Amino acid sequence: MSYKKIVEMIPVEKREDLSDKLLNYLLKTKNEKNMPSSMAKCFLSQWQTGSFEDETGLAVLLEATATVEPEKTIEFVEQELQLADVAKALKEAVV
Amino acid sequence: MVKFGIEFVPKEAYWKTVYYAVQSEKRGFDNLWITDHYNNRNVYVTLAATAIYTKKIVFGPGVTNPFLVNPIMTTQSLASLDEMAPGRVVLGMGAGDVTTLASTGIEATKQLSAVVDAIAIFRAMLEGKSVTYEGNVFQVKGTRFNFKPRGQIPVYIGAQGPKMLETAGKIGDGVLINASHPKDIDYAVGQIKRGVEEAGKKMSDVDVTAYTSFSVDKKPDKAMGAASPVVAFIVAGSPNVILERHGIDLAKADKIRGALAKGDFGGAFGSVSPKMMEAFCIAGTPDMCNEKISRLLKAGITQFVVGSPVGPNVRKSIDLISEQVIPHFKE
Repeated sequence: MSYKKIVEMIPVEKREDLSDKLLNYLLKTKNEKNMPSSMAKCFLSQWQTGSFEDETGLAVLLEATATVEPEKTIEFVEQELQLADVAKALKEAVV
Repeated sequence: MVKFGIEFVPKEAYWKTVYYAVQSEKRGFDNLWITDHYNNRNVYVTLAATAIYTKKIVFGPGVTNPFLVNPIMTTQSLASLDEMAPGRVVLGMGAGDVTTLASTGIEATKQLSAVVDAIAIFRAMLEGKSVTYEGNVFQVKGTRFNFKPRGQIPVYIGAQGPKMLETAGKIGDGVLINASHPKDIDYAVGQIKRGVEEAGKKMSDVDVTAYTSFSVDKKPDKAMGAASPVVAFIVAGSPNVILERHGIDLAKADKIRGALAKGDFGGAFGSVSPKMMEAFCIAGTPDMCNEKISRLLKAGITQFVVGSPVGPNVRKSIDLISEQVIPHFKE
């Protein structure tokens, strides 16, 4: 499943919290080397032209964070946001 | 109207620093300064990426030094950046950190002459002509670029000592004063004025910039906690004359130096006193910071730079500054 589709599964009222948490994970990660060069450019292009709270931006952010910090991302979605189906889709996407 | 700048140390992957650069532009900062130390990511790679992802923020190295990077290469780098971001590039040039330079085997002697020479070469080479210059430290003979630079780039001089401050007033377009307290700014402005008068300029010709250690958070203890490690390093690196200016116990400063030298960071950071915090950083809630920024403005600064650590959470602190600090002075 694409990250855009995964984002569509997330209730609108939970997207702001998710975006905020994912940005913290990404900007504080020690796993910088796990960020592919093309993904870093995509992340910055999105930030330059838009935000990480709409569907497109959140999909870019979710993919980057799930790539760099998969455990934290899935745990937050599963435990804090209580979105088991989204967590399952993420687990499949990051494999 | 005062300008707001922000400083980042490129110690993390380039995309994190550029993220903060873009955020700073979006949140209303005027200037971006990237530090230049060999042990971090390269300043010009970081600035080139910044040029690509931003469109109006003014940026430059803050500061580079002529000992580690030859002035010709600095000029080439800045001229190239100026093609990428026309009119948005400035140079921050200082004498360098003696301790860091020593670890590279470079002996930074004749610091004032080196900075003066470097700036003379920088400005001459930006004219796009063949340059011959015989300085005390640097000499060039018939040096020229195979391309035409766009033109002059403003030069800010990083200065703390009396002679460097005076020289900065004399030949700089701006001065970067590493200080967070009105006493230090008062002193610096006095020295800068001497240089300005000697050169027959006006103070308004010089962008007097306070390059502060800054930390803001809604909770003051969190802001202070983030700033205390930076203050420990500032205390350790400060000459006694500056410590005495702020009434700081020299024995306590020595204790911090000793702890840092042994790698006892907990001991060093734990020894930072409230007086040291007051002297060497601006930390607290937005209201607390605004009060201190106002005092620096009264002392004569025209640009305020939010320097490391910015806050306990850099992203959230930038937002907080945008919402509660910049508007306090610009609206």
